[in-house]
Amino acid sequence: MKAILAIEIELCTGCRSCELACSIAHSDSFNPKRSRIQILKDETRNLIVPMVCLQCEKPLCQEACPNGAIMENEQGILFVEKDICIGCLNCVTACIYGGIGMDPVTRKAVKCDLCRGDPACVKACQYGAIKLLSVTEGIHQRKKGVVPAFHILGVQVAEGQE
Amino acid sequence: MTFPYKGYAGKYLDIDLTKGVVHKKDMEKDWARLFLGGTGISSKILWERTNAKTDPLSPENVLIAGTGPLTGVMFSPSGRMMFAARGPLTGVWAESHVGGFFGPEMKYAGFDFVLFNGRSKKPVYLFMRDGHAELRDATHIWGQETDITTKMIREEHKDPTIETAVIGPAGENGVLYSSITVDFYRAAGRAGLGAVMGSKNVKGLAASGALGLEAYDMDKFLEANEQEMAKLRDPLWKDSLASLRKYGTTDLVAVINEIGRLPTKNHWTGFYEQADDIGPEIIAEKYRIAQEACHGCAVGCKYIIQVKSGDYPTDPVGGPEYETIMAFGSNCLNNDIESIFYLGKRCDLLGLDTISCGKTIGFAMELYEKGILTERDTGGLELSWGNKEAQVELVELIAKREGIGKILANGVRKAAEQIGGDAWKYAVHVKGLEASGQDPRAHQSIGLTYATNVRGADHLRSLSSLEELGYPDIVIERFGEEKADAILDIMSPKYKGQVVWDMEDLYALVDSAVICKYTTMWPPVFYFDTFVNVIPSLTGMEEWSDPRYVRQTAERISHLRRAFNHRLGVTRKEETLPPRLLKEPMPTGPAKGGLPDLDEMLDEYYKYRGCDRETGYPLESKLLDLNLDFVVDELKPLKMIK
Repeated sequence: MKAILAIEIELCTGCRSCELACSIAHSDSFNPKRSRIQILKDETRNLIVPMVCLQCEKPLCQEACPNGAIMENEQGILFVEKDICIGCLNCVTACIYGGIGMDPVTRKAVKCDLCRGDPACVKACQYGAIKLLSVTEGIHQRKKGVVPAFHILGVQVAEGQE
Repeated sequence: MTFPYKGYAGKYLDIDLTKGVVHKKDMEKDWARLFLGGTGISSKILWERTNAKTDPLSPENVLIAGTGPLTGVMFSPSGRMMFAARGPLTGVWAESHVGGFFGPEMKYAGFDFVLFNGRSKKPVYLFMRDGHAELRDATHIWGQETDITTKMIREEHKDPTIETAVIGPAGENGVLYSSITVDFYRAAGRAGLGAVMGSKNVKGLAASGALGLEAYDMDKFLEANEQEMAKLRDPLWKDSLASLRKYGTTDLVAVINEIGRLPTKNHWTGFYEQADDIGPEIIAEKYRIAQEACHGCAVGCKYIIQVKSGDYPTDPVGGPEYETIMAFGSNCLNNDIESIFYLGKRCDLLGLDTISCGKTIGFAMELYEKGILTERDTGGLELSWGNKEAQVELVELIAKREGIGKILANGVRKAAEQIGGDAWKYAVHVKGLEASGQDPRAHQSIGLTYATNVRGADHLRSLSSLEELGYPDIVIERFGEEKADAILDIMSPKYKGQVVWDMEDLYALVDSAVICKYTTMWPPVFYFDTFVNVIPSLTGMEEWSDPRYVRQTAERISHLRRAFNHRLGVTRKEETLPPRLLKEPMPTGPAKGGLPDLDEMLDEYYKYRGCDRETGYPLESKLLDLNLDFVVDELKPLKMIK
């Protein structure tokens, strides 16, 4: 069954352990800037938002890639084949959720591949803010999870909005 | 030879501010091997680059910004870094540590240490990114408060990932207890290092980096880290950690008042009747809106508050620590928690140490009560106990060095000298550093900690929570069954010399690694074996897998810092306590009647430390054992060795 990462913003303390763990898993180094999950912060507004690929059903990033570098692995999860990626940033521009970024070292696109089913960030989070859930559960949790950030940003959330 | 060890960035910046030149250099192998990082390496550098004639606020002083091998790697908590210099408030060894995100970012930008030498002709700040470093003009941000400063630097580079360590107006104006504010609401608060930065015309440091750090053996290191994390998950620590997560350090207001050790009314007593008004429950219920954590931290003691109405409303901001609540609250008999939030926030923005600032105001209030200061001296300010409006006004005057603030900006020791008369009797300090939130009349060993702490009267170089909060299993494990009862007796001086000696060495490594006192001081989870476990696989320094080598390194660091102070004239005579804490029995509360037996503890401490009992000077044999030959060479002709 397909699964996605769901984040409960209210539990996130902004400690960046997930970024550290992701960078270890994918680049064998301690380097949060190379992480596939990124924490955005505005300290003066108490805003801490972890950003990670939503594993979309109709992925804008894949559509935008001119080289076909974004492909499915055997578990059906999209990943960036770094030897094919030309670093053109089209995918980054196309993703409206900020779920795909550039590796500052390789200058190639990077996105969350769920660590082949056992995400390092989930294990590293000491506050239980990140969970790997089924798509249905995950989408529900995500909708709930972003409400605090919307409140801080003053975004209106309509009841029952998808 | 290039620097061989991993875990470090491998380079440091040697900056000549006078010429405006930044030199990039390779870290030195022996610095890491013999002193690890942070306070250890700083002690070696300051020993070499300063001397007894170095005026702390002159271009000759060297301000160090330092990290350790564990800064920024996967280890909880890894978000810490430190500053060191000869201190302007005390005239002796000064170091101050801080959490947040700047330390890791500095290493990701490529640098383990920054050494500021000289004085810049115009205001500058240091910008570091991906192995590149430059001094940039700070004329336009000079005078700004710390939050605006950080926002302006981020805006200038169009980069919100930049982390900073900056001073506010207080540091620029040379307030002797100025802090360095990191990431908006964390501070390297103590000992006035913000004033050293200001004296050099440096507004701050800013960093963003994607260079990352490597481990010597990543798999082995992660395994070692997991073993340490498993210790943290032991049910033994569940309550302490749950408390830190829910209340942060504010829980101490209640816990410490219960043992009669909460400084109240300028340290007159250790029990505050109104402690509940400024305690953990009211803060958690009414004001706390979120939990935060420093980089890579599993403890997460930081909390965010918001005050929506009243006289002191504030947008979300980091809440005050125990020490801030104590300094402006119980110590000044102010039980209005909203005003304490406000005072803490103003100190972060102006760049003031909340402890020294609150303690200096408490000192002024007592002088006012005793008639030593009058409204004529204060410019009409009524400095009665608990007058929060007066506190608020004083904080601003101190930061600007205006009116009575001009004297109070010098801290209690110098202010007492300037005011004259009996003022000195009420100046609660050691070596010029205002006492933090403990009291030896209710906790013997903290008296020894205050007296021997190389930077003056505070808890952070050797406080023992073992008998303070009661951890019998740990006491037995570390000191043996037969000593346990006496050690666990908070008012017994017995074996406290050994305990403080042991803690001082442990924290020497904690402050060199550089990690946090939470998980080492309280709860006392990590010990020397933690370093034996994680340092070799992270760095590749094989000798660190030998427990004896690790302990020796800790001793080496402790001795070098002490030697730094001896060279400046510190002896047993200066390793003492202020009259109030040494001779006035605790007047009220659970610890009523208590007094510390300092001499007995000092004698034992010197024995364990390897020092002469009469003078406190080190034994030559001890220094040679620790490879501190260069200290022997310099101190022997001065007769500062036995």
